[in-house]
Amino acid sequence: MARAAVVGAGMTKFGVHDKPLQELFGEAALPALDDAGVEPSEIDAFYFGNAMSGQAENDTHLGPKLASHVGMAGVPVQRFEDACATSSNAFKNAVEAVDAGVHDVVLVGGVERCTPETGKDTAAMTRIFASASHRQYEQPTGLTFPGVFALFTKRHMHEYGTTEEQLAEVAVKNHGNGALNPNAHFGKETTVEEALDGPIVADPFRLMDCCPFSDGASAVVVVSDELADSYDAPVDVSGVGHATDVVPIGDKETPHVTQAARDAAAQAYEQADTSAAEMDFAEVHDCFTGAEILASEALGLVEDGEGGPAAEAGRTARDGDVPINPSGGLKAKGHPIGATGTAQLVELTEQLRGTAGERQIDGADSAVAHNLGGDAATTVVTVMEARR
Amino acid sequence: MSDRLTHGEWSDAVESGDLLGQTCSDCGKTQGTPKAACPHCGSRALETVELPTDGVVYTETTINVPPVGIEERGYQVAVVDLGEARVMGRLSDGEVEIGDPVELSGFTEDDNGYVAPAFEPR
Repeated sequence: MARAAVVGAGMTKFGVHDKPLQELFGEAALPALDDAGVEPSEIDAFYFGNAMSGQAENDTHLGPKLASHVGMAGVPVQRFEDACATSSNAFKNAVEAVDAGVHDVVLVGGVERCTPETGKDTAAMTRIFASASHRQYEQPTGLTFPGVFALFTKRHMHEYGTTEEQLAEVAVKNHGNGALNPNAHFGKETTVEEALDGPIVADPFRLMDCCPFSDGASAVVVVSDELADSYDAPVDVSGVGHATDVVPIGDKETPHVTQAARDAAAQAYEQADTSAAEMDFAEVHDCFTGAEILASEALGLVEDGEGGPAAEAGRTARDGDVPINPSGGLKAKGHPIGATGTAQLVELTEQLRGTAGERQIDGADSAVAHNLGGDAATTVVTVMEARR
Repeated sequence: MSDRLTHGEWSDAVESGDLLGQTCSDCGKTQGTPKAACPHCGSRALETVELPTDGVVYTETTINVPPVGIEERGYQVAVVDLGEARVMGRLSDGEVEIGDPVELSGFTEDDNGYVAPAFEPR
């Protein structure tokens, strides 16, 4: 028995959007409701994620604002903030609610704007993003988010010999996949040479190792297992794991192992009675190329230390033995913070229905999503399976 | 009242050239930053300890795209292994790699008055 099922999914194109948050969210939520074939009046509750619009756009208390815009004023709305893991935490709580019988049909989604459309330039947005690092023990060093993942990746390179070329291979793969995704921020392929020629943001990361600042929204309709078969195209949510780790980085036992991801993955696989070996593909949180390599190991898709060689050998390509980020990932699809977690679940839903078009993973039956927040101190891991 | 290490005391120490941490009396682990309870075992029996001011670089990066409020580019941030604990700081001088020996050289202060340890090669 599944814990819940996704019966509708929708997302905007990720990129640059000159429209307010409620309108952007409506462009994901209404298609998700239509996909599920449900009316707003059938929604029992709304679980919503937005990380930074208070800082970026002076726009807070978004729950009822968005609900009002999409025809569901009156429903209980809860808003989540867990840095980049924001909307997957909303999803986790939604799944728990329907699994426990508290609600039958819920809307889950996220929206965020991070581009200069907010009025914030790169330096200003870099500071807002850095607010997820420790205020007293990390931010005063001048640490940025590329810097956070650079610290993890440099240590991984030291431990295992991971190379800059292997990082570049992740970018090349994800741009290639993104070029097949009409909702991706970047639709252009790149090469290892081009990636290695880019300006350094925080070494070892060059420009092409970093995901973009994006605007966008995503949404899914979640129903209880009992109700799932009354919808046209349900996809099972078999497990959702969620764990945290110590902040700041200096106090983590072994920062580059991203322990929260390992703990969350163990929970999700156990709930689903499955294992990494059974996963046909993964959507992972590749905010930086190094983060994808760490995630591939933390989820057990490859052995520790093999993330770099696996990327280089093409094992994580769409036709490889462990396909990662067929959507293009954060790297190419884009990363509107609060919309990213649910957007991964939109990709899992489409792939497991077999409707992902040119980027479809043949015969995809089981998949895992990995959404991390902050310095990897929050991670939510979700296992979904085609409903039989 | 508890005599548990506070951010204010930790900062005053950094400004005077010292690094303070906490050792858990129950599980024995040491942290480089103050907390109300041990992050590993939850014990409140945390003893304030003076950490060594020299160590080796555990990991590092050089930041070329700084947040607003920092004009400098190309500054290096490192996590320094002091033996029983690690702390994050800014390199005040020189370039270092993982495994290089460094020592506390002073501190940097941000626009809110929060301080960070500074290190230099030794």
